[in-house]
Amino acid sequence: MEKKILMGVQNVSKTYQMGEVKVHALKDASFELYEGEFVVILGPSGSGKSTLLNILGGMDSPSEGRVFIHEEEITDYNDKQLTVYRRDHVGFVFQFYNLMANLTAKENVELATEICKNALNIDEIMDDVGLGDRKDHFPSQMSGGEQQRVAIARAVAKNPVLLLCDEPTGALDFQTGIMILSLLHKINRQFNKTVVIITHNTPIGEMADRVIKMRSGKIVEMKENVNPMPPERIEW
Amino acid sequence: MRKLDIRLLRLLRNSKGQFISIAMVVTLGLCMYVSFSMTAMNLKNTVDYYYELTNFGDIFAQVVKIPESALDKVKEIDGIEVVQGRVSFDVPLKVEDDKEKVRVRIVSLPDQEKRINDLYMLEGKILEGQPKKVVVLEQFAKARNITVGDKIAAYINGRVVQLDVSGIVASSEYVYLMENEQALLPAPEKFGVVFVSEEFAQMTFGYQDSYNELLIQIKDQEKMDEVVKKLEERLDRYGVKRIIEGKDQLSNRMLTEEVKQLDNMSKTIPLLFLSVAAIIIYIMLTRIVKNDRIYIGVLKAIGYGNYEILSHYVKFSLVIGITGAMIGNGVGIMLSGLLAQVYVMYYNLPLLRSQIYYGYMVNAILLTCIFCIFAGLMGARPVLGIMPADSMRPEAPKTGGRILLERIPWFWKHVSFSWKMVIRNIARSKKRFVFLVLGIALTYGITVVPIFQGGAMVNMFTLHYGEFQKMDYSIDFNKPMNRKAMIEVKQLADIRYIEPKLEYPFELRTGWRKKVVSIVGVPRDTQFYDFTNKNQGSIRLPEKGIFLTAGLAKVLNVQEGDLITIKNFIPGKDDVKVEVKGIVEQYIGVNAYMNIVEMENTLTEKGMITGVNIRSKDRVQEKVKDIKHVAVVQSVDDMKNSFLQFLDAAKYSTGVMMIFGGILGFAIVYNSTIISIAERSMEFSSLRVLGFEKKNIYQMITKENMLMTVVAIILGIPIGYGMCNGIAQAFNTDIFSIPVFLTPDVFITAAIATIGFVFIAQLATWKKIYGLNFIEALKNRVS
Ligand SMILES: Nc1ncnc2c1ncn2[C@@H]1O[C@H](COP(=O)(O)OP(=O)(O)OP(=O)(O)O)[C@@H](O)[C@H]1O
Ligand SMILES: [Mg+2]
Repeated sequence: MEKKILMGVQNVSKTYQMGEVKVHALKDASFELYEGEFVVILGPSGSGKSTLLNILGGMDSPSEGRVFIHEEEITDYNDKQLTVYRRDHVGFVFQFYNLMANLTAKENVELATEICKNALNIDEIMDDVGLGDRKDHFPSQMSGGEQQRVAIARAVAKNPVLLLCDEPTGALDFQTGIMILSLLHKINRQFNKTVVIITHNTPIGEMADRVIKMRSGKIVEMKENVNPMPPERIEW
Repeated sequence: MRKLDIRLLRLLRNSKGQFISIAMVVTLGLCMYVSFSMTAMNLKNTVDYYYELTNFGDIFAQVVKIPESALDKVKEIDGIEVVQGRVSFDVPLKVEDDKEKVRVRIVSLPDQEKRINDLYMLEGKILEGQPKKVVVLEQFAKARNITVGDKIAAYINGRVVQLDVSGIVASSEYVYLMENEQALLPAPEKFGVVFVSEEFAQMTFGYQDSYNELLIQIKDQEKMDEVVKKLEERLDRYGVKRIIEGKDQLSNRMLTEEVKQLDNMSKTIPLLFLSVAAIIIYIMLTRIVKNDRIYIGVLKAIGYGNYEILSHYVKFSLVIGITGAMIGNGVGIMLSGLLAQVYVMYYNLPLLRSQIYYGYMVNAILLTCIFCIFAGLMGARPVLGIMPADSMRPEAPKTGGRILLERIPWFWKHVSFSWKMVIRNIARSKKRFVFLVLGIALTYGITVVPIFQGGAMVNMFTLHYGEFQKMDYSIDFNKPMNRKAMIEVKQLADIRYIEPKLEYPFELRTGWRKKVVSIVGVPRDTQFYDFTNKNQGSIRLPEKGIFLTAGLAKVLNVQEGDLITIKNFIPGKDDVKVEVKGIVEQYIGVNAYMNIVEMENTLTEKGMITGVNIRSKDRVQEKVKDIKHVAVVQSVDDMKNSFLQFLDAAKYSTGVMMIFGGILGFAIVYNSTIISIAERSMEFSSLRVLGFEKKNIYQMITKENMLMTVVAIILGIPIGYGMCNGIAQAFNTDIFSIPVFLTPDVFITAAIATIGFVFIAQLATWKKIYGLNFIEALKNRVS
């Protein structure tokens, strides 16, 4: 199967000015993301993982370098265009779920879908994430894993081409973490979505099509797995 | 419904108390706006309609005597449309109680179809061409229990004349029934008006085929000045006493003032309330946005734009505002109906033209929207600075550090631990502190006003009658007398001291400014008038020259040392120029004062007096009533008493103002305390973990509020003073000028009231603190 390029990252750097000090959060990163690919970014804390993810998702712009989606350069986008890009092309999953406290599970998903064009059927998605019967519950009535599944539903229901997850299992126990990973895996395979996951846990890399390792703002290693392991078999 | 809107509604539901208290402030403000504006409008329309219905005159002229035949000449003056003559005299009414002095004005009605100042028949019939049949003005009839079929008797030229009451009427000329400008309040049981046939009046008063008053309608209001000038010349030889333009007519002027005041109030107070509501909303939103930082980041990450998120928060503000506006409109309309009724009753207007002006409701909503959108945008502005990536970052830690006071060791050493925390907390949330202090200060100011107002009226009177005028009685003759009349008065009662008085209306002029006032002539060494100047204190009447009351000086725009012209209405007397020798303070009435000798010489005749002032403990009223030509005997005590009755009515408005101030104060304190609790739930939780009880935390907040209340009250003193001054300015009329003397008890009373409001608001937050789930707060911090 021929791989189609979804995103291109060319010589991207990000520098934060903290008073006198310059923090080089990201240094000269270049790589491509393919359609339907499952990518895991690994690296110690402060190595620039979130920075990279944010730039991919149009949440932040790089200090240098260019980022493309298909043939379009998103680094050229203005604020409005970036908003549209996030709305129609990207789904985010956060470490701490970040659901709206006073909206029900279903409403949280609808919050995302009602502003985009090609949204999927919400009820089906809720069933897919296994929360068909918890739709009307508020976040405070759900466990962390359940909340994260709602967050995933929220991200997927928009029908984005790209699913970005910043430590989606970071706040969860092992069992629940595996369940979330399987869900993401399923979505990746079933809907052919490109999924990028950030994690501290090296073993998670084994389920990826490709692992990107980072250290001190640099991509230090890029490794393809010919036979990714199914998430159920991962242990840490 | 959009999910963000659902979130909004739930957010509002979760902060019901705040929602209600802010909406209430808006409600109050708009309720006042709508009801005051509408009542002012309805009142104005009612009066206009009443005037139209009764042909209210444009000019009223008083002359000594003018023959009927001369009226045609007057009518020839360019610009004059209709001229009507009438005879009008004030005479004593015969009443059962000898001590009581009641006066009636007997006014003739022309036998004409379309009368100027026509009457509005309420009961019975008009005259029917029979002499001695009279119709009586409603207010007077009511006050004295006169009904159709009764007989009343008046002293006319020394004889008792019986009159049959054939009807009760209302008159557009006497909506506000006062004898003259010197009267301060309507006293319908002491002064009334009866209308008689022209024939009868002319016969009784010796005015065959002549009149002493002219009612005039002109063609073009623009040409008023011209017409008045020509009229003055034309009437000169008939002894013109006064020419009064419709706008200066006593009753009309009082009505106009009232409408104006109502209108002014409708424009100022609501703005104050809306501003307070807007500030509370602003503070509340700032805090909500701060708490929502991560959510806002998420929304942005999901693909919501700034516009959508901003409007989410602006809607929050709008929902509160519009809810308040709707209720305010509704209540305002009901209240305006009620207010109009009250005014109609108070002024004895025989009819009411009232309608709902939807324009004011639209204005009210627009105004609210502007305030709320502004407050919403300002409050939610930080949304713009929140990046989508912020959704991933935990909250930035608050900056801590030493506060200024800690650098003053001797102070800091003597402060207990709990007070240290209180002071640190205040110092670290300056914005909220400023808001709360200003809010309470404002509440305090608003509370000072009604307390001051209540006292101001009493002050005004005690100052006028105790400090400025020191006589016990003042007697007015019904025509100018020789000085010898003093002797007669002296013989009849036990009088300690007596002074002559010469009081006469003149027109004072400088340039185009003019004003008809009574010039009062008293001896230079008067013991009854204490003239005081704002800067110099007591001053003595000059040999030559004139004193003007401060209000009059303002109207004429003159200062000490300026020359003014006194236009003399007395036939055969010339106008004179005199120097203003002093501007004197007088809280009630507008007058000019002169040395009586000088006044006799230049303005009237030698040896002439119009009344006397007396110091006496005797029952003067009883004793002098038989002296011929005594028109009025006024006792200062009586004046005070009649005034105190009037004050009772004013107490209601004082109470209402206090309640409004209280609601404002409640909204401010309640909201800022709730906000403070929400902002600091983390801090409180930590304190709880450290072993603090809920009680301790509540005490801490109470202490904070206490400290701020004290600061606020200190700050509120000048605010209150300023507001009182403003109110006094706004309420100053030609006749009253409210003295701004604020005694400590006003401030103390207001302080107690304010502390009460703060206390109530504090109690209302008690539940919030005790209901706060501290563990939840700690947990929430993670997500
Ligand atoms: N807004 C910011 N301002 C200044 N410095 C920042 C900002 N965001 C990130 N940094 C810095 O950039 C570097 C990379 O941060 P980033 O969040 O990408 O790390 P990370 O790999 O995601 O770490 P973690 O695993 O702890 O989440 C860090 O040194 C961080 O302090
Ligand atoms: Mg990170």
